[in-house]
Amino acid sequence: MNFTLNFLDFFKLKFRLFSKRLFLKGIFMDKKKMKILVVVDVVILVALIIILMTLKGGYEEQAKRTANEQESAYLEKNTQVLVEQWRSVDQYSMAWKLVYTVLSGAKSEAAFKSALATIESDKDARFKQISHLYTGAGINDAVQNGIYQKAGLAEGTILLKNEKGTKEVACGKNCVVKFSYAKGKLKNVDYSALVQYNLANSLKIEKPAEYHFE
Amino acid sequence: MNLKNISIALTVLVFGVIAMLFMQKGNYVNQAREHYEATTNKSFKGNSMVLDLVNNGIEMNKSTWAIACGALQTVRTSQDMARLEAKFFPATKGNMSLSNKTRRFEASSANVIVANFAKVEEDKKTGVKSLADLQSVDVSILLGNYAAAAAASDDGADEEGAEE
Repeated sequence: MNFTLNFLDFFKLKFRLFSKRLFLKGIFMDKKKMKILVVVDVVILVALIIILMTLKGGYEEQAKRTANEQESAYLEKNTQVLVEQWRSVDQYSMAWKLVYTVLSGAKSEAAFKSALATIESDKDARFKQISHLYTGAGINDAVQNGIYQKAGLAEGTILLKNEKGTKEVACGKNCVVKFSYAKGKLKNVDYSALVQYNLANSLKIEKPAEYHFE
Repeated sequence: MNLKNISIALTVLVFGVIAMLFMQKGNYVNQAREHYEATTNKSFKGNSMVLDLVNNGIEMNKSTWAIACGALQTVRTSQDMARLEAKFFPATKGNMSLSNKTRRFEASSANVIVANFAKVEEDKKTGVKSLADLQSVDVSILLGNYAAAAAASDDGADEEGAEE
């Protein structure tokens, strides 16, 4: 019992001394710590400001670059649809002109050939006909010229199939006109695809995707 | 005490700058996003409008062409022409000119065709005059050739004629 008490007293004393030392050390260290803290703070601050400045330029440059890249990619894709539409309208217009010419002129296969050649080679008339349709639809000259600069006219020939007796002509996206001849004379022109022509299903402008900062 | 205040102030400042560091990225991203959205949405709206307008233009254009090409194969008289017009454009009627022996159909100012006939016929019973023997269909305006169209309809203004 006595021993236990002494033992406890010993620990109490030890603890009191220890905490006093700690306390003193604390006061002593406080000032020193503060100094260190101030120095460390200043160093960190300077470092942070440097990082801030460096990153600022980096972020700004990266944000501008990625926005521009994504913008031009979208505009490019977007304009491509109008380019395709323009070229389709060119084929469509040539096809109507050809059907009209074949029906109103001579009915021989030779007449078909020369009519097609005349229509395809007259680029001024092709532009005029497309432009007329666009103007009638309410598209102004500036917009038309913008599209024309990129699209030009449809490339190549519209003649898809040229066999004796059967000719097939492209009349725009997913559109074919068929001319049938029997013994060199026009038998039938199937231009129902032209009458039902509808670009709304095949050409669409996608909504812009979300901007992402990489 | 002074040192303590300074160190506290500096520590606060350090955390403030750290916060700025994180926020500035967000700022630039937002600015870039705004620019991107403004530009792409403008393009989306503008180009969609062009696409739709042209598609609508084609709708009217193809029907006008269909009347012209259909007329070349099936039409003999102005009544036939009127029926063909009504098939594609129930609400629009062509204008007949007995003096010029033409029937002008105008779906819109850009979609006009003029059918030329050879003679004027008169119904003995009713006295109604109509045109017969289709000679040609003028599609100059559909081809965008206004000069040719103007030359063709130069002589005399259109006059309303009796029909059907």
